[in-house]
Amino acid sequence: MADLDILIFPDARLRQTAAQVADIDDKKRALVSDMFETMYAAPGIGLAATQVNVHERIVVIDVSEKGNEPLTLINPEIIVAEGRAQHEEGCLSIPGIYEQVERDEHIKFAAIDVDGNPYEMEAEGLLAVCVQHEIDHLDGKLFVDYLSSLKQRRIKKKMLKHEKD
Amino acid sequence: MRKVAVRILTSLVRDGRSLSELLPAAQTDLEAREAAMLQELAFGVCRNYGRLEAIVGELLQKPLRNKDTDVRMLLWLALYEIAFMRTPDYAVTSSYVGLTQKIKKNWAKGLVNATLRNFLRKQEELLGKAEAKNPHSLPEWIQKRIAKDWPQHSDEVFTAMNLRAPLTLRANAKKTDRSTLCKKFEETGLSTEDCEFSAHGFRVPDAPPVAALPGFADGEFSVQDQSTQLAAMLLRPQAGERVLDACAAPGGKSCHLLEIEPAIELHCLDEDESRLARVRQNFERLGLQAKILCADANVPDSWWDGTHYDAILLDAPCSALGALRRHPDIRLLRRESDIRALARHQLALLNTLWPLLKPGGRLIYATCSVLKQENEECVQKFLASTDDATEIPIEAEWGIPATRGRQILPGQHEADGFYYARLAKAGMPAQA
Repeated sequence: MADLDILIFPDARLRQTAAQVADIDDKKRALVSDMFETMYAAPGIGLAATQVNVHERIVVIDVSEKGNEPLTLINPEIIVAEGRAQHEEGCLSIPGIYEQVERDEHIKFAAIDVDGNPYEMEAEGLLAVCVQHEIDHLDGKLFVDYLSSLKQRRIKKKMLKHEKD
Repeated sequence: MRKVAVRILTSLVRDGRSLSELLPAAQTDLEAREAAMLQELAFGVCRNYGRLEAIVGELLQKPLRNKDTDVRMLLWLALYEIAFMRTPDYAVTSSYVGLTQKIKKNWAKGLVNATLRNFLRKQEELLGKAEAKNPHSLPEWIQKRIAKDWPQHSDEVFTAMNLRAPLTLRANAKKTDRSTLCKKFEETGLSTEDCEFSAHGFRVPDAPPVAALPGFADGEFSVQDQSTQLAAMLLRPQAGERVLDACAAPGGKSCHLLEIEPAIELHCLDEDESRLARVRQNFERLGLQAKILCADANVPDSWWDGTHYDAILLDAPCSALGALRRHPDIRLLRRESDIRALARHQLALLNTLWPLLKPGGRLIYATCSVLKQENEECVQKFLASTDDATEIPIEAEWGIPATRGRQILPGQHEADGFYYARLAKAGMPAQA
């Protein structure tokens, strides 16, 4: 078990596209377990492998209040999307920044769990937001990309300033 | 003893030092009866300062110079003894006339003698005049401010400020409970009255010195006004939480927090080391533990370990006008110009401590003031400039709702004047 380092915006490695996972071995399972530990410690409700500099399509999520409903999404894909809704989002790679982002309101996604079993799941509310946010990470995308260029510049400046502190 | 009384009152008026600071030191060398007399004189003169000042002003042809503050205090004391205590007039006169020599103001011998004799001649008339001029014995600015802030209640407030405060105690919930303790008191012949709103509080009319009450040495209770007890209760400490008492000395609220919930990690902060010594004594007597930090709350870099708090109790330094009945010397110590500086300091504390609170955390802002500038206006300013702060109104059967927070006025519920606001920090939007 280990607490992994989370890449911080505007790190270029956050822009890499992650590769499909071919098979789930002990090494992958250890990574998932480390990712959960890192996410809970942060604390966060979701973490994509990209954020810990592993460029494979693996996501961990737990949006429950008590932090006792872990979800593992390997090779996740959104198969149905309906409606649009705004939510305030935050990102462990962009700490301290929270902004409204519009995304699909109801989704259905397909993924593989940590034991290698494929599954489908419907989601709305916070879970729907989180799944879309994490899949974006796997595609090298960040929630700030949805904001105005003025806001993006301001956030970038703020993050670079923190880095120096 | 009268010489000591002149000395401490002079220090109070001239150097702005409080009686709670001056009296204990002055009393250590006195025997019990004299110590009690000294306290009675000092408190009595402060309580009646408005009257005494008016009378002295009437009797003297020209005001005394600043360097003769001691002579002025000597006159106040003498007049107080004649008018409000049962000391025989001739005893007062000869004693205070003689005192001029002991304070090396021989020149004032004639002046004191003439003034006191003058007073004795026209006592009724002068007292009546003084009473008419300043019936509440309060500085004009305090009366104006309270009348402006509390037009409906100002007379009650002024009256309450002149009454003697009851002795209110807090049963130590960790060691006993109120009803057991009250039974114990009643067995020794003392009567008790439960506080209406604090489940731990009760009043003891006609009490002997606190240290002589049953259970004191064993830490079964502390002296604390009901209003102050409500502060810790509003914070509602929960097991496992990290809690900061930001202006902790002398530690009453800190102890109360731990008595309510012993399983908290409590940090007690105060910048006055000598007052923190009392915090340590209280913890020891009550059998409690906390981390005690001596530092300026406004400079977290100097004391904060970087881990956020679940809850902060900020009982900010204030004018203490709400507790004036317990600290009559506030009449002489406080200046109107202090209020603006205090309000600035209070707002600065709120702004400084807020970032130390966890997202989703809570802060109780409290003062023992009744001035809106220190209370709701301060909270309003803070809320207006702080995005992640919201007020959670206090729903209660006590006090008066303010535009922000809740106010107890002096004398309401037989308690001190106190103000409280409950502030909540926005929960962290989840990061993913």
